[in-house]
Amino acid sequence: MSETKNITVHLKVWRQKRNEKKGRFESYTVKDVSTDSSFLEMLDLLNEDLTKSGKEPLEFDSDCREGICGTCGLVINGVAHGPQQAIATCQLHMRKFKDGETLTIEPFRAKPFTPIKDLIVDRSAFDRIISKGGYVSTNAGSPQDANAILIPKKNSDLAMDAASCIGCGACVAACPNASASLFTSAKISQYALLPQGQPEATRRASQMVDQMDLEGFGNCSNHGECEAVCPKQITIANIARMRREFFKAALRS
Amino acid sequence: MALTSSMLFSSVGKKLLNAVSGLTLLGFILAHLIGNLTLLTGNSDAFNAYGHFLIHKTGVLLYVFEYGLIVFFLLHIITAVSVWWDQQVARPTSYKKTASGGDTSKKTLSSTTMIYTGALILVFAIMHLITFKYGPAEAQGYTTIVDGVEMRDLYRLSIEVFLKPGYLIWYIIANALLGLHIRHGFWSAFQSLGLNHPRCTPILYKLGIVVALIMGFGFVVIPAYIYFKGGVL
Amino acid sequence: MKLDAKIPGGQLETKWSSYKSQLKLVNPANKRKHELIVVGTGLAGGAAAASLGELGYKVKNFCIQDSPRRAHSIAAQGGINASKNYQNDGDSIWRLFYDTIKGGDFRGREANTYRLAELSANIIDQCVAQGVPFAREYGGLLANRSFGGAQVSRTFYARGQTGQQLLLGAYGSLMRQVDAGNVEMYPRREMLDVVLIDGKARGIICRNLITGELERYVGDAVILCTGGYSPVYYLSTNAVNSNVTAAWRCHKKGAVMANPCYTQIHPTCIPQEGDHQSKLTLMSESLRNDGRVWVPKKENDSRKASGIPENERDYFLERKYPSFGNLVPRDIASRNAKEVCDENKGVGSTRRAVFLDFEEAIGRLGENVIAERYGNLFDMYQNLTGENPYKTPMMIYPAPHYTMGGLWVDYNLQSTIPGLHVLGEANFSDHGANRLGASALMQGLADGYFVIPYTIGSFLASTELPKVDTSHDAFNESENDIKQTVNKLLSIKGGKTVRELHRELGYLMLDKVGMARDKEGLEETIEKIPKIREEFWNNINVPGSSDDLNKSLEMAGRLADFLELGELMARDALNREESCGGHFRTEYMTEEGEALRNDKDFTHVSAWEYQGEGKPHVLHKEELEFDRVTPSQRSYK
Repeated sequence: MSETKNITVHLKVWRQKRNEKKGRFESYTVKDVSTDSSFLEMLDLLNEDLTKSGKEPLEFDSDCREGICGTCGLVINGVAHGPQQAIATCQLHMRKFKDGETLTIEPFRAKPFTPIKDLIVDRSAFDRIISKGGYVSTNAGSPQDANAILIPKKNSDLAMDAASCIGCGACVAACPNASASLFTSAKISQYALLPQGQPEATRRASQMVDQMDLEGFGNCSNHGECEAVCPKQITIANIARMRREFFKAALRS
Repeated sequence: MALTSSMLFSSVGKKLLNAVSGLTLLGFILAHLIGNLTLLTGNSDAFNAYGHFLIHKTGVLLYVFEYGLIVFFLLHIITAVSVWWDQQVARPTSYKKTASGGDTSKKTLSSTTMIYTGALILVFAIMHLITFKYGPAEAQGYTTIVDGVEMRDLYRLSIEVFLKPGYLIWYIIANALLGLHIRHGFWSAFQSLGLNHPRCTPILYKLGIVVALIMGFGFVVIPAYIYFKGGVL
Repeated sequence: MKLDAKIPGGQLETKWSSYKSQLKLVNPANKRKHELIVVGTGLAGGAAAASLGELGYKVKNFCIQDSPRRAHSIAAQGGINASKNYQNDGDSIWRLFYDTIKGGDFRGREANTYRLAELSANIIDQCVAQGVPFAREYGGLLANRSFGGAQVSRTFYARGQTGQQLLLGAYGSLMRQVDAGNVEMYPRREMLDVVLIDGKARGIICRNLITGELERYVGDAVILCTGGYSPVYYLSTNAVNSNVTAAWRCHKKGAVMANPCYTQIHPTCIPQEGDHQSKLTLMSESLRNDGRVWVPKKENDSRKASGIPENERDYFLERKYPSFGNLVPRDIASRNAKEVCDENKGVGSTRRAVFLDFEEAIGRLGENVIAERYGNLFDMYQNLTGENPYKTPMMIYPAPHYTMGGLWVDYNLQSTIPGLHVLGEANFSDHGANRLGASALMQGLADGYFVIPYTIGSFLASTELPKVDTSHDAFNESENDIKQTVNKLLSIKGGKTVRELHRELGYLMLDKVGMARDKEGLEETIEKIPKIREEFWNNINVPGSSDDLNKSLEMAGRLADFLELGELMARDALNREESCGGHFRTEYMTEEGEALRNDKDFTHVSAWEYQGEGKPHVLHKEELEFDRVTPSQRSYK
């Protein structure tokens, strides 16, 4: 809307065929990109061009395109989700870039994030981490009245901060060590802060950390890059809380 | 049941061990620095008295400290190398381009070079031991008398060593690396111990810079002072 | 075909509880032997798969996303209604029921809607037990807000991310069942057909979206929780992968489709900026609490908002609806915005937008208060548009975002195909012709946690289900059909991309089967869609191959179904010669321009039965009976 113009961008994009061990960078030029369009819409445009010229379009993941589902995720010019903080790739707009700029686009890289095709990687490791305790073990049925559990607003707000994680994997992608600590700690934190989470707190912390390690993520060296790229600005205070929970678990086990 | 070994060597456990050993070693070098300051008095007796105290007055405790230090050193090294190794295998294909995500990041030259600064500090520590602990002693004529007891003249040795420009430069480099190592290591240790607080952590983070500067400069000031004074203090 | 809604007898208030206690049960030891297929992992699907796993059934759960946590329920912002009456403001099950059925313009089923209102309280208890971090007061109690013009505060919320938190709660429970081995998860699978054996839904065929392989799965029942069909409009607030394919393929196998023309167009969305756009973004309608909607009085006025003096502005909602003003219900606000744009008074580069102005509110309350109330929405708007809404008025335009229509189900949530159950937005049952704000989450979870666990048991206990496996002929047949279609799509290699034709369909649908419809436009649509369809099947360009991850192929298959659904929507809209809820026929309005229902001829559900390719659908009517409420005319003057 404001000062819309059309720009040209040059892309260096990671392309990797399915079942191919190694990928490579390919260069494309996308012309007539409205500065109002989103980054992914720019890639849509590239795909339209590729399709029309008989080439195979670039595969990348996206779904809600409003920053909540966590499906999209690209490393743009070396930064997970691109140059703007506190947003997911789908919320990034082309007005952030200059006419004629060259953009390097890579997938989220980590050993557990096995490449599937082009910019799409497998993040099922996150599901497996959650399956080891990212919940309160309660069956659907007739629990007590919701207001029977009093939760201080402060704790509830902190729990919500942690719970806002969208599971995109940018924390892993940005971490120099490819650690999944921010992701894992966000879930552990949410329940550590709530009374409902207490009965199985010990089990949760140790099992989820074990699974995280088992998946082959790197270790956390407190670089804090995860926090800087997190679309939901989840802080590394959660990682510290996860560690406390883990030590408690270790001492109680 | 207390901490099991599997828990200790989990990702979180390793960082705990690394942090505890790191802070202990920091405590040691802080004490070491304070002791070394006696060199600056220019009074050979003061420094040698400090040495005398450590060697002859602490008894069995000295051995406890020495072996303890070795254990913590090893623990720090093993966990650090292990963390570093995890990192090596966790990203088989590296990025073509990397950049920092922005303001809240704590990624610094310090944080990304911990393993290298650590390794060089280790080399320095070994050479430092060779120079001083296992260097010229009574047999080579470095003797003095403190409290009526004949002992090794560490003061003379120190002054002589620090008058060599090459050693001074190496010493300056090593301690700058130590400072760099502490700059991230200090606050990071607290974070690894799970100690994070909205008010305290920013202070700890800045305090890390102060501690790094004290360590980096403190250890350098002494030999530099000796060198530029030509050994006559 | 006779549509039997199987609504139990007795008092409305006790129908569900007495029915529930009479339902047949499956012996706990036998539950393990029943394999159930749940398609979708949103609030309905995730909740259903988790609860059925908890009960001990062997569940296979499928989703098109890479993780069950990403289903589109995650994008719901505002909240979830529940008749808890925590605020002591006179709320009750009855009141929530009445508001919902009235909000649906008396085109929903009394019994279903009452059950929904009844279960709402239980949902909140369940979610809190799961650790969903709902907003709280300082005393530690749950906070509520009034939402969507409701007169009581019954909406529970977790910041602007209520859908996300509820979904993650269900997802957690689901992953717990995965860990326990009760649920097997199949992500990145797209259901392409339901397989009927002896007339019952006994399996599905999925495309593995990574390898492209067609996979066969067998079960004793299929539970479809695949959401709505808003992307038929191309641009909607739905996720780009949301689609009607699973439901439509079931429809083609015999599940009748009910009220497809009931769609909801949400008024406060960020306007489209150009053809490059892939989706529209919704902003909470709470913005209308303080924002004033206006357009220039002059046609084609290209001055900036600040350059248009007060007396040349038309605050059209305040002018036409003096008592409700900017807070009129969604459908009315949307329709009026369209009208003024049709009169060439629209603003912005595309002229399809109206101003939502906070200048007066900022003057009255100060920027701080406004920032506190809407800060995140303002930030979102600024990020998307590059304009600062504190300084210049926002521009908004309505966008499709929910579909009330869907597969027809009875009180047990079973479709006209025995064994095929349909939950959540994918079914038609609970919202009538218009859904109230904060009610979609409620329905998804009610269906998944508290309805299907009971009714599926009864189905399994009372149905003969001989053992079948995937080598059955019905699987072969279905798979062959899919293969043929896929091969055809890939072989056309024409000149149009999927996106181009989808856009063409979408713009047509939005224009003619959107906020306001008329006979002429609908007939035109019914004539035009087959042409687009023809072009699709002759001139589409789908790159890549079938044995690979191929999003263009996925999208092409979905568009093929939208091209059929769109026509049915137009037919349904043409057939319904009245205005009700989200369905507004310009020929049927009151003198004041409001929706005019025709209760005499149209108090029914229009359920359409597929007859085969190229043959017109057959209409079945389920008459709606109102025993307890009396349909009245909505008025917001």
